[in-house]
This record gives sequence, structure tokens and C-alpha cells, in this order.
Amino acid sequence: MSDNRPLDFGQFWYSLGKELSEVPIAAETETLTMRSTDFADLYGIHISSIGPYTIYGYLSIPKGDGPFPVIYYVPKNASVLEIIPQGTSNQIRSRYITFSLACRGMRTADSPYAAMYPGQLTEGIESLSSYIYRGVVADTLRGLDFLLTCPTIDKSSIVAWGNDNALLAGALHGAVTHIVSTPSFLYDTINQASRTSSYPLEEFNDYLRHNPEGKGQISEILSYYDLRFHSSAITAESLIMADYDGGLFDKKTLRNLTENMNGAVTVHPSERSSYKDGMFCEKWITDKLFGKDATPIVPNHWKVE
Amino acid sequence: MGVDRDYRCQVIKPEDFNEFWGLVLDELSSIELNVKCEKDELRSDSKVTVYQIFYDSLDHVRISGWYSVPNTPVNGLPAILLVPGYQSDPPIPKDWSAKGYACLSVNPRGKVRSRSQFDPGYPGLLTHRIVDKNTYSYRGFYADAWRGIDFLLSRGEVDSERIGVAGSSQGGGLAITTSAMRKEIKAASAGAPYLCGFMDAIELTDTYPYQEINDYLRTYPDRLEKVEGTLAYFDGISFADQINCPIIMNLGLQDNVCPPETGYALFETIGSKDKKLFEYEGHGHEAGRYVHSGIMDQFFDKHLKG
Repeated sequence: MSDNRPLDFGQFWYSLGKELSEVPIAAETETLTMRSTDFADLYGIHISSIGPYTIYGYLSIPKGDGPFPVIYYVPKNASVLEIIPQGTSNQIRSRYITFSLACRGMRTADSPYAAMYPGQLTEGIESLSSYIYRGVVADTLRGLDFLLTCPTIDKSSIVAWGNDNALLAGALHGAVTHIVSTPSFLYDTINQASRTSSYPLEEFNDYLRHNPEGKGQISEILSYYDLRFHSSAITAESLIMADYDGGLFDKKTLRNLTENMNGAVTVHPSERSSYKDGMFCEKWITDKLFGKDATPIVPNHWKVE
Repeated sequence: MGVDRDYRCQVIKPEDFNEFWGLVLDELSSIELNVKCEKDELRSDSKVTVYQIFYDSLDHVRISGWYSVPNTPVNGLPAILLVPGYQSDPPIPKDWSAKGYACLSVNPRGKVRSRSQFDPGYPGLLTHRIVDKNTYSYRGFYADAWRGIDFLLSRGEVDSERIGVAGSSQGGGLAITTSAMRKEIKAASAGAPYLCGFMDAIELTDTYPYQEINDYLRTYPDRLEKVEGTLAYFDGISFADQINCPIIMNLGLQDNVCPPETGYALFETIGSKDKKLFEYEGHGHEAGRYVHSGIMDQFFDKHLKG
């Protein structure tokens, strides 16, 4: 694995930003009546990204005048696009603008390219120019470009929430003010993959088993995406959801990310309970955006009577 | 919030429940399985061989799956049917085969690689044609999972007397319906079961995917009776009394997706005398996975390898 940032790292990402800036957002909005409620309206959004390629998102806007804080659910490494993540209280849509985005390859953004899962993380990884993840990152950034066009957003409170892409969004787009991220595959990728047989990292092991001569090359390509080399560009206040101590992406392992970030960082080791970890996230973001006296909006079964 | 362990769901098993599903099984058995099994060199490794497999199911919908077997040559392998969650992508089950099982991870209709003929999307699957039990999405979806047993029975390396089913969330619900309807199942593990106590769950939770039903009924309130009528045929609680094999269940008592109250109601209804419930206080929808995975291993070792 390359432990050095590529010499043309900055140029690579500058070029992507420039290419993206030359593609009009060209948003098309449709009201999704069935998913709208008495506290929020839901819209389906088609927008353009590099390629050009059409991607899709769900935008939920609370009733009222705003401005509203934003939770941007960045593209996942999975096929299904959810309105809000499974298990999140639907009432969250009464407090925040939420925007979930399907990058190229996911359902609703899979024409003409339908990704496989596993499969997308190594698609086109034979060369820097053909690697699909350049487009995935562009799509992630394009989601933020679109959000900035929404008149009722509170630009001082834009949270990027999700996997590694949330950190890339924070590093590469100035709009992100807060980050909630669970790093899963873009931190020291090849070395981390060698420590596990579980997907998604197993995808890289599969690839290298059949292309052992390509290890140096894909390590070099992945170094452009490695969170360690993006860390210093992250100024947003961040919550990093690490693995439990001893896990693959535990607090100790992630030090080369968290200690080099330039915003305040909270690292929370997983308690191996989706309830406890989820509660920590909801309390953290509520505290940061609304203050310690505000009550987090949590699902019914997380409420303490 | 304290969980009512004595909670009972409002669903009533329809009188013609067995007749309805009997006709579905008859229709399913009239369709040739038409198996295609292709080795996936990329995903195979020194310990496990992975196959991409396909078979025909109800309405002649082509169903895909990942099938894996340990590389060590053994006749009469125990086998697991692994049934998927609602919005997650069915996994490649190498970990099961590394433990010595043949394992089919099935992608019922509408899931990735099984969506060319039927694709109501997400959200969407849960309410697709929910006013008609004969065309409701889960009629075919359940059958696709059950048909996975036929695939396993078609494999020469599988011991037909040692087949189990496992899943969590929607997979938990499918483990319930599959073990009820396919007597070849010798052991079942159902975690945080979804698709059980639908009409209670939509009142107990404020989260997706059950919110799909609330969205639907808010839009079409006059269809409530039809929705209730259809769901009674698909509710895991209606199936549960027909389960006779050993079964374990696990619940997270702070489950924010599938309310534990419906899990208790389900467990009470399970017909098997060999049933055990594991409750995890302080856990959500993952239902104590990091502890419970070891319990599952011991359970299947006992019933399928012993």
C-alpha cells in the first residue's frame, strides 16, 4: 500500500472539481405525494454529474419557512437508495432538510450503468482514469452543489452523514459544516483488506487474488481516495464512528485520519449496539446544531420514559 | 421504553390460509426449476468455491443467488438457506462455507440481479399490490425464498436431511415462513423478524420500512380493510403455528425497525416445542449480533452437523 500522497494529488482533485463545475446541475424536481406528510414534503430529484450522467436523490423539506439545517446522506456502497436510513425516526424530517443521494450505479441512478454489490469498489480500477470511484466522488460533491441551490437551507448547518464518502465530501466541498462518518473501505485500503475476509474489503482481496501483479498499481490509484491523505483538508466538526477496540477500523487504527483533521473531532468506539451507537450520533448532532438543551429526535423504541 | 413481553398482535389467521398457500405451492411445483449454476472464479478462493446461480420461480420469474461450498471434498454437506434483509444486498455467503456448510444466499424478486421481470423498488416492495392477496408482491417473494430449498435439494453434495434456514430482519421473517412451509427445514434461526404483526408494527414504530404502509394508508385511507385482509395471509404470525423444527429467535429490546413486541407475539405462536428466545437488552435492530452469532453457530452445529 502506498503510504505517500501522490505528487499530483491536488491536481487530480482540482481537475475533477473543474470538470464538475462545467456540467450544469440541471435539476428536475417531482413531488412525491405518498411520502409527504403533515410535517414534511418529499421530492424526487434528478441532477446531472460528470460524464454526463444522471443521478437521483430524495429531498425532504420540513413544512414552514426555514431556514432549516441539512442532513445530507451521502451515496452508499449498496444498491438501494432510502429516503432516510432504515430505523431513523421519520420525525427527523420535521427538523431537518434531508437529502439522500444515489450515485451512479445505485437503483434510481442505474441507467445506463448498473453497479454490482460487491463489484463497484473495483470497477475500472485498472487505471486512474477508468476507476468508477472518480465518478462516485463527483456525484457526492454534486449533491452538495444541488443542496446549495435550495432556498430554505441553513448554510451554517450542513451535515454530511454516512460512510467514507462523508469525509471525502468534507474534504473536497466547502459547504460541509459537520460530518458523521463510519469509515469502511477508503482508509489504508489494501492493508486493511489483508486483515479481513469480509465484504466490502474482500472485494479488493478477490481482485488481487486474480490480478496479483496489479497490487502496486491499484494501491497507487486508491491512494488518491485514501482518507489519510484527505484528512488535513477536513475542517468541519466531525464525529467518527470507529469500530470497537480491536476491530478493523478501531480508534487506534484510524489515528492517521483523526489526528490530522483540521476541525474538532470526536471519535466514538462502537459499543456493538445499533441502539447505543445510534443514540450517540443523534445526541451528538443535536448538541452541535441545537445546543445541549435540545432533545434529539429518536425512534419510539429509543425513548426513555 | 419498557417492552411489553405479553404483547399480542391483532392479526387473525384467515380460515382459508392453508388453502391459499397450498394453491401457491401447487403452482410453484408445476414450474420447472431450470437451474443454471456458474462458477464465479473472481469470488472463489482457496477455501470456498462460489457460484452464481439462477432458477425459475412463481410466474416464471428468474431468481438469482450466490451459492458457496467448502473446497474440501465432502459428501452429504449440511446446508443453509440464507434469506435477505429488506433493503440490504444479499451477501456472498463465504463465511458459512468456511464453517463447513453449503449455503445459498437467495435474491428474491426485486432484489439486485433478480429485478429484470419485477421491480417495485424501495420504498415500494412492501405495498406493491397490497390490496390483493393474489398479486401482492410477497406472494412471489415468499415463494422465491421457499424455492431455494428446491435448489439445495437439486445439489448432489447437499444432505437433504440436514438443511437449515437463517436470516435477520426481513430474513428473520422469511426464516419463519420458510420453516413453516418447507418441512425439509431441520433447524431455523430468525433474528429481529420483520413481516410479523404488520398492523401493530405500523403503530409501534415511526421508521421505515414499516412507514411504507402508513404512507400508503394516509394516501388511500379507504383501503384499510383490504390491506388488513391481504396482510393476514402474509403475516409471519399466521405461519408460525406450522413450524415444527428446532428454532431460535433473537430480539433487540430497543429495536427501532421491527418492534420487539411483535417478536414476542410471534414467538408465543411458534408451534415447535424446541424453541428458544434470546433477548438483548440495550440492543437495537442488530439484535445482539456480536454475541448471538456464536449461539447461532452452536445451534446449527448441533442440529445440522451433529
